[in-house]
Amino acid sequence: MTDRSPMKDQVAIVGLGSTGFTRAGNRSPLAMALAAATEAIADAGLTAADIDGVVATSEPAAKGSEEIAAALGIAAATHHTKPSPVAMFSILDAARAVFSGAADHVLVVTPVVMGPWNSRQAAGDPWRRGTRSGILPNPDDATMAAAYAAWASRYIHEYGASKDPFARIAINSRTNAADNPLAAMTEPLSFGMYDAGRMVRDPLNVFDMDLPVDGADAFVLTTAERADALPHQPVLIHAATTGIVGKNDEDQLTTLGRTGQHVVVEQLRRTSDIWIDDVDLFYPYEGFTIITLAWFENCGFCPPGGAEAFLREHWNDDTNRIEINGRVPVNTHGGSLSEGATRGTGHIREAVHQLRGTAGSRQVEGAESALITPGGFFFNPQGAVLRRG
Amino acid sequence: MPENSEEARSEQDVAIDDAELIGLFAGHGIDRDSAAHFRGRLERRLVIHRCDDCAHWHHPPRPMCPACWSWNITPTEVSGRGTIHLLMTLHQGVPAPGVDYAAGHPVLTVELDEQSALRFTATATPDFPADQLEIGTRVELDWIDRDGTPTPAFRIGTGA
Ligand SMILES: [Zn+2]
Repeated sequence: MTDRSPMKDQVAIVGLGSTGFTRAGNRSPLAMALAAATEAIADAGLTAADIDGVVATSEPAAKGSEEIAAALGIAAATHHTKPSPVAMFSILDAARAVFSGAADHVLVVTPVVMGPWNSRQAAGDPWRRGTRSGILPNPDDATMAAAYAAWASRYIHEYGASKDPFARIAINSRTNAADNPLAAMTEPLSFGMYDAGRMVRDPLNVFDMDLPVDGADAFVLTTAERADALPHQPVLIHAATTGIVGKNDEDQLTTLGRTGQHVVVEQLRRTSDIWIDDVDLFYPYEGFTIITLAWFENCGFCPPGGAEAFLREHWNDDTNRIEINGRVPVNTHGGSLSEGATRGTGHIREAVHQLRGTAGSRQVEGAESALITPGGFFFNPQGAVLRRG
Repeated sequence: MPENSEEARSEQDVAIDDAELIGLFAGHGIDRDSAAHFRGRLERRLVIHRCDDCAHWHHPPRPMCPACWSWNITPTEVSGRGTIHLLMTLHQGVPAPGVDYAAGHPVLTVELDEQSALRFTATATPDFPADQLEIGTRVELDWIDRDGTPTPAFRIGTGA
């Protein structure tokens, strides 16, 4: 493990674009990607002529970086890649391209779509019917999405946990989504509604699972130096990493006590000057609620199995959401459960808005740093500390 | 030297050819490295990769031992005895013959007795007592038929 961090504070996120997210989309993944991309480039005060790097996340149905470059009329790019889904793979790839000198202004674009694999509505849409997710059709697997229900059972068994902390993660996201014009689901969620939720993969119900949506996010990254000349307050990547353990096949993971999340946290703690006592904002991924409980525990907010007591203690009954020590809000945009299943791009976009002061009615006054932890347990845990430049 | 996986398989009783095997298990992502495991299923044998040099078991099947980097891997039948480690009930999923999501389709990840944290995931037999379908219950391997293909399933254990 390295404790070198030469990239610390050297790369800035300077442009944001988002289509917003919907359950009733009628645009192609490319159309959504381009809408977000053009908005992000304009938001950065740049034009197509400035973009010399294109990172296009390999989401199902998404076009590659070469097609994004063609559609945007990019003159030439010296960095063009297609990282795996889940946000930090693409953001880190772009940041490392900027830091290494591979490119000066790198666009990251991530469209997400409802598909036949996660939506009955999408299965009936002829424009989506042929879209593949790569998920294998075996009813007896504990892989991919199902693995989170399987390990939720283990968490409940080992710690005697109730569903109360799971409910609080879902309700927190829904409460925050109400203030986010980009969010797909804003109807208030009560504990009673959560308890009555349709069981999908017992012990997880429909409110424990992220919300399939259509939409796209885009980002522009450049050097901290160049960022100073651009329109917005720069937001710097202070520390960022991905992490796995070797034994990461879903049903072979030795224990929830040693996952890629632990690797991510150890690496962030080695390389970041800012940690949980200092951050003003926390964005733990909630593709499934069990993931979020683990992030709270593994980041050190509470001990293993302690999320139930912690979330009850740090719950604000008046605002109906989590406020850590009455100060630090969590997933202020509504997260993957309610804004929509962006696989973490929403968490990063919202953190950047908060840190540069463009979060509108959701703005946390004086927010200077954010901890963001996208990804789950197996092959995509990741994390970043962002700070105002 | 990496052992040729075709040779490794040649001692097996090959009842069907590769194309047919691939057709039966395409949905499981079958490849050269997992072929012996899936051929075992057709004979109702649960076959797991084991290292000849350090005796380490690993699953899913890979061509090299992750513990010692030996290529001397022998697909070996396990006892099928173990303990439920993870458990869920699916109420939606891919359609499959005999799988009733409305009633709830149980999926068990079983820690096999052969090695700590060596696990195999399958469904439960239809006669599994519902009140004993829980983490910690001892189970044994059985087989059910799914459209004529033998499919592993765990039944309640009879002893230690
Ligand atoms: Zn070995």
